[in-house]
Amino acid sequence: MSSKRHSILPPVSQTGPKPPVNFSSTITIADSALLTGTHTITVHGESVIHPRARLDSLAGRVTVGRRCVVQERATLGAAAAVPAAAAAAPPAEAAAAVTLGDYVTVEVGAVVEAGGTVIGEGTVVGVGARVGAGAVVGKHCTLTAHTEIAAGEVVPDFTVVYSNGMRRTDKRGVAELKNKGLARQIDVLRRMIPSNPAKFA
Amino acid sequence: MSRRPPRGEYIETDTGNKVARKATLVGTQNIMLGGKTVIQPDVMIRGDLTRTVHAAAPQPASQSATGAPPNNTAVSIGRYCFLSRGCCLRPPGRLYKGVFTYMPLRMGDHVFVGPGSVVQAASIGSHVHIGAQAVVGEFAIIKDYVRILDGAVVPPNMVIPSFSIVAGQPARLIGEVPEGGLEAFELRDLYKTVGNNPQPVPP
Repeated sequence: MSSKRHSILPPVSQTGPKPPVNFSSTITIADSALLTGTHTITVHGESVIHPRARLDSLAGRVTVGRRCVVQERATLGAAAAVPAAAAAAPPAEAAAAVTLGDYVTVEVGAVVEAGGTVIGEGTVVGVGARVGAGAVVGKHCTLTAHTEIAAGEVVPDFTVVYSNGMRRTDKRGVAELKNKGLARQIDVLRRMIPSNPAKFA
Repeated sequence: MSRRPPRGEYIETDTGNKVARKATLVGTQNIMLGGKTVIQPDVMIRGDLTRTVHAAAPQPASQSATGAPPNNTAVSIGRYCFLSRGCCLRPPGRLYKGVFTYMPLRMGDHVFVGPGSVVQAASIGSHVHIGAQAVVGEFAIIKDYVRILDGAVVPPNMVIPSFSIVAGQPARLIGEVPEGGLEAFELRDLYKTVGNNPQPVPP
């Protein structure tokens, strides 16, 4: 990018405290990702954090598993939309706010609220979806675009949530293939996204 | 300092594009704007997600040696497109012959993308209106004169024929654009109402 048009990519305003981070050496994190909060943000090996993704550890630890993809404008650890729900969640001070398993994809603009929220291995959180505080999403689930998982809800493994909350079980048995596909995607993204983990250290 | 003209909210290029300074364009070298396109603040375009289908060849460095540079356009946008505040364009990606690659996102002329929408289509025709908070899934193909209503979720790989109106979650065909309704897709007037010296909306 030429220096003349630097204004095209506005600088990211880093507000709030800088969190302690625990990065694997093999992750790819874009320069313009936003990390805020006071608790530790852990990102395990080969995960990819896109530009403008937001990880907020103000309410507790944020843990991202191996080979996860957090796309642009996704928010992990957002303050709960309903404060009462947050009170119901375990209020332990150092509790985990958000835990992503391995092979999790959080797509554009999705929001995962803080408060002991767990997302299982191989789950895809679709564009603009919202996972409430304390919800536990099982393994290999698919939350399609704009779906909402209520606070504290437990979603069983292999659930597909679509069309304003309709549910069905994914019986295709393609979890292994999906994980392999995601690994390929990560290989490509590692080359495309300039990584700068040192900025957050 | 005081002699310099005040910096406007938009950068206006020679070809008439109006790009907000607060828009997030990643990988600008791979984004093609046809001219007279408006990009409002907080729009995000992922031009860095380019095709990599040839990157599986021995080494990418050899591409420059072979002469013609590969066409790396990730997002191409036609004339008189209007990208509203907070929308996001990103090229769709998939496995192709065992290799993951992003494919270019092509957009015709007079395409309106509503605020907060996320578009990952493979191609969008001309005179398409995408409402607010809509999601267009990966590799969707949208033909000409299509209206996608607010909050619609177009599933991946969906093909929307010309003159359709779609809505819902997932998006379904709910009607057709009437004969006399084609004028409403023109975005020339809308183009004039934004920029550093916006014109009032004509009556």
